[in-house]
Amino acid sequence: MLQALCSRSLQAARLCAPRRAVVVEVVRGRKSRSDPIAKSKEGRIKTPPPVDPVEMVVLKERYEEYQLIISALRLEFKEEVQRKKYEAETGSMAEERARKEAEEHSALMAWNRAENQRMLQLRLQRVQKEKEEVEQKEFEAALEREQKRQEFIKLKEEELLRLQEEAKHFITLENLDQRIEEALDNPKNYNFAIDKEGRVIKQTVLK
Amino acid sequence: MKAVFLMKNTSSMFGLNVGVLKEFTPSLSQRNVTCYPSSMVHLSSLLSKQYHGGHVVIRLALAGHNQANRPFYRIVAAFNKRARDGKYMEQLGTYDPLPNIYNEKLVSLNFDRIKYWIGCGAHTSKPVSKLLGLAGFFPLHPMTVTEAERRRAAALTESSREREEEL
Repeated sequence: MLQALCSRSLQAARLCAPRRAVVVEVVRGRKSRSDPIAKSKEGRIKTPPPVDPVEMVVLKERYEEYQLIISALRLEFKEEVQRKKYEAETGSMAEERARKEAEEHSALMAWNRAENQRMLQLRLQRVQKEKEEVEQKEFEAALEREQKRQEFIKLKEEELLRLQEEAKHFITLENLDQRIEEALDNPKNYNFAIDKEGRVIKQTVLK
Repeated sequence: MKAVFLMKNTSSMFGLNVGVLKEFTPSLSQRNVTCYPSSMVHLSSLLSKQYHGGHVVIRLALAGHNQANRPFYRIVAAFNKRARDGKYMEQLGTYDPLPNIYNEKLVSLNFDRIKYWIGCGAHTSKPVSKLLGLAGFFPLHPMTVTEAERRRAAALTESSREREEEL
């Protein structure tokens, strides 16, 4: 579907770089000004269509009448349009309409404000709850930590006590001689025999 | 051939903007004060998309190019300089040039809006004036009457010539 370009955009398109190799356009008539006339049209004299003078007079009268009526209609319509515009702006209903619109607007704004307040309250409550929850969690975490610390301390204390107990039986430089003599006096025999049924015999040849 | 008019009278609209003429840019002089060298090309007047002068017309625009040999026109209010089938401001009716099965050519017109546009200073093209004249909105166009008279005269001469030939 080719649309006829107007002369301005056509010239502009020609001046700017054309996007396509072939500039597609709708052309009026195939020939330009300098092309020769066709052979069949060489001796042709163009005459305007013949005018009947009687008909022309009658037509002129008709046209005058027609144009009178048309211009009168135009003025009528113009007046109507202006009257409507005037009524719309400064008519009896215009003020009421403006007032109603203002009322509606203020009512809606008030409703909006109320909604905002409501949402604010809800939000505050929610934030409060969340804060409390967070505090609770922190408190509990602190308790747990405390408890864990206590358990750890207890474990360590027990270990300490055990070590202390065992330290009494350690071999020190003072006990060394005594313990050596004790060890030599009481030889311990760790040999034992065990059979497949699991009977253990601690008594050996070596006493 | 009968021409049947399907009239569409809409009630008055809410807000009127009579400012059709506001759409025209004020005719600022587009000539630059400084003189450019001759190699430069003055393109802004060619590329400007605002209309410089021009008026509104109510005319027929071909519609629906989906079918060959089946024309259909829209009665449309558009700028004078626009393409015939291009962007228009408002559609004011339709005109179907091919007669239907009852030998009628259907035309629809939105008189309320036509009144508005003519009140804002729109011109009407010849075919639209003729259609409105036949509808009764305008007075009958002089050419309609003249064409009818011519055809009648031609028919008379034809019949008289036939009768002479018979005799």
